[in-house]
Amino acid sequence: MKIKSILIANRGEIAIRIIKTARKMGIRSYVIKTAKEPNAWYLEEADKIIDFSENFDESIPEFLDIERIIKSAKKHKVDAIHPGYGFLAENPDFARRCEESKIIFIGPSHEIIYRMGHKTIAKELARKSGVPLLGGSPGAVSDAEEARRVAGEIGYPVILKAAAGGGGRGMRVVSREKDIERMYSLATNEAAKAFNNPDVFLEKFVREPRHVEFQILADQHGNIVHLGERECSVQRKHQKLLEESPSPALNSSLRKKMGDAAIKIARSVNYYSAGTVEFLLDSDNNFSFMEMNTRIQVEHPVTEMVTGIDLIEQMILIAEGEKLPFTQKDIKLNGWAIEWRINAEDVQSGFSPSLGTIEKISWVENEHVRVDTGVRDGSVITPYFDSMIAKLIIHAETRERALQLSSQAIMKFWIKGTKTTLAFCRAVLQNSNFRKGNFNTSFLSKELKIHYQNEPDEALLAAFFATYDYAREMNENEEKPLHTENGKAITPWVLKKRLR
Amino acid sequence: MAREAKKKTTTKLIALSSTNKAYEFNKPLEKQIKYQGKVVDIKLHEDPKGFSYIVWKNKKYMLDVIEKKQNRYTIMVNGVWHSFSVETPVSLKRKRYLEQQVDSSAGVSIEAPMPGKIIDILVEEGSEVKEGEPIIILEAMKMQNEISSHISGIVQSVSVKKNESVMKDDILMEIRRA
Repeated sequence: MKIKSILIANRGEIAIRIIKTARKMGIRSYVIKTAKEPNAWYLEEADKIIDFSENFDESIPEFLDIERIIKSAKKHKVDAIHPGYGFLAENPDFARRCEESKIIFIGPSHEIIYRMGHKTIAKELARKSGVPLLGGSPGAVSDAEEARRVAGEIGYPVILKAAAGGGGRGMRVVSREKDIERMYSLATNEAAKAFNNPDVFLEKFVREPRHVEFQILADQHGNIVHLGERECSVQRKHQKLLEESPSPALNSSLRKKMGDAAIKIARSVNYYSAGTVEFLLDSDNNFSFMEMNTRIQVEHPVTEMVTGIDLIEQMILIAEGEKLPFTQKDIKLNGWAIEWRINAEDVQSGFSPSLGTIEKISWVENEHVRVDTGVRDGSVITPYFDSMIAKLIIHAETRERALQLSSQAIMKFWIKGTKTTLAFCRAVLQNSNFRKGNFNTSFLSKELKIHYQNEPDEALLAAFFATYDYAREMNENEEKPLHTENGKAITPWVLKKRLR
Repeated sequence: MAREAKKKTTTKLIALSSTNKAYEFNKPLEKQIKYQGKVVDIKLHEDPKGFSYIVWKNKKYMLDVIEKKQNRYTIMVNGVWHSFSVETPVSLKRKRYLEQQVDSSAGVSIEAPMPGKIIDILVEEGSEVKEGEPIIILEAMKMQNEISSHISGIVQSVSVKKNESVMKDDILMEIRRA
């Protein structure tokens, strides 16, 4: 069935991203207006706005209100719902309610979402497909002999963990078989003392892994392809800060092995739609399955840039029941793409969110630079939603060139009114190990000592500007009252311009 | 005589940074500043889109006033912020004098940077904290955020409890400068 209208159960940049493709395909787009950001940009981009800003139920956020969204979709007779990412994107009940209401859910079926969302079911599927897993004991190990047996099966290094505890106590990393007995007794004794429970379980230990994920596209006729990987190791507390495709860690044979494994996982649930299979990759290039995300990801643009495939368009076509228009051998990875997440965060205070108004935002887009954003001049960063301002995506022939163009694009990305992660992006670009592609998930905690780039004269220039502004205002004060706007003083230049 | 003396004291302004570094500028602040003993050209610009920048030694530096309260400024240069209080020689002298008088018993208050819920308090009364050390976990924007101390010192009092909701600028704790 051809989809003629889509309700986007999301906001911000991803709503605008979906609208763009819908427009290209001649599909009407519907979005939801909330009282939390009634003037957001995505509302203007859509063909129709469904207003949730009045009579809203305070106990449930608008984008999580399954029944209200379904009811609105039915009332407006939309053909399909795209959930975007976050919110209800991986909620099997939402997909099920869409199915029951004869609304096409642009994503996999509710059974697939459920099975991949359930970690033990997903791991079991991976195991049955012969995909490497981070193995371990199913429960507590009863004695040192069992620990030796399980460790032998999954391979060293392993980690013994107190079943009842946390915080590092009762925890032992074992690198060699000859240590297992001693470490087992140390761990159980420590666990008994610390938690009054000697039980320990055993798990494969990965030292400073990389996070590498594969993009999958699958139709409802059993055709599955992968679109290469995304390197997502630069993270802070499991929050990705930048992603690239391909990964500097992979060569074509490892890519083929991991890609095949990702397809096997997808096949094990008869997957369809776009999906992402996440792996941990250790320093010896051993990979293991972590989980599968059954939605479009924030970082999907890097894959779009290197493959030239519009992932949202493919999701819609698959949801319509179309067959994939390509096979694996048609998929070519062309060049290198990097996505820099520009967030309203104060890097100098531990990445804490920086609320406020984006007074002005400006960037330069060209054949190498793509910007996906949901904000513009005057947009407000609210405490209700995530702190992402924009995704700056650079595409070039090589990684080196992409990094070079990244520096230029970041210097031309101007935001006035809020603190952002731009200075963090510059610091990453200065790091020699990052430039060499030599990094893993410990990059921020171990490698990047200073999380923002600061040039020597900048403090002096800031001091000058503060003093200049103050002096100007003192002079003006003698003649006229202070000019302020929203409690914030207007710079003398802005004021001068307005008075002209 | 008195009038002349007054005039003389206001020809200079000092930007005192949060790390206690003083930057001295002579008035009027127009096109040149003294830098490492030399007079260097400085040019302030505003581009057609309304962004402000300085051209300094042939390089462009983007500027933004993030916060401004009387003589206290937070200025962002190329995405990195710096905080100052702008002082005259007299007010600086007075400020330094007062700091000595008040001694160390006065605390610096740490305020909530955004509304949210207190998830964890990592220090207690009497704890020693270093600048940049996380002291409170505040949940807001679906994320757990570390609030760190902007000074080094001893925690004098904690004004919030775990699981308590706070508004922006609520005082979380007082820290006495070490």
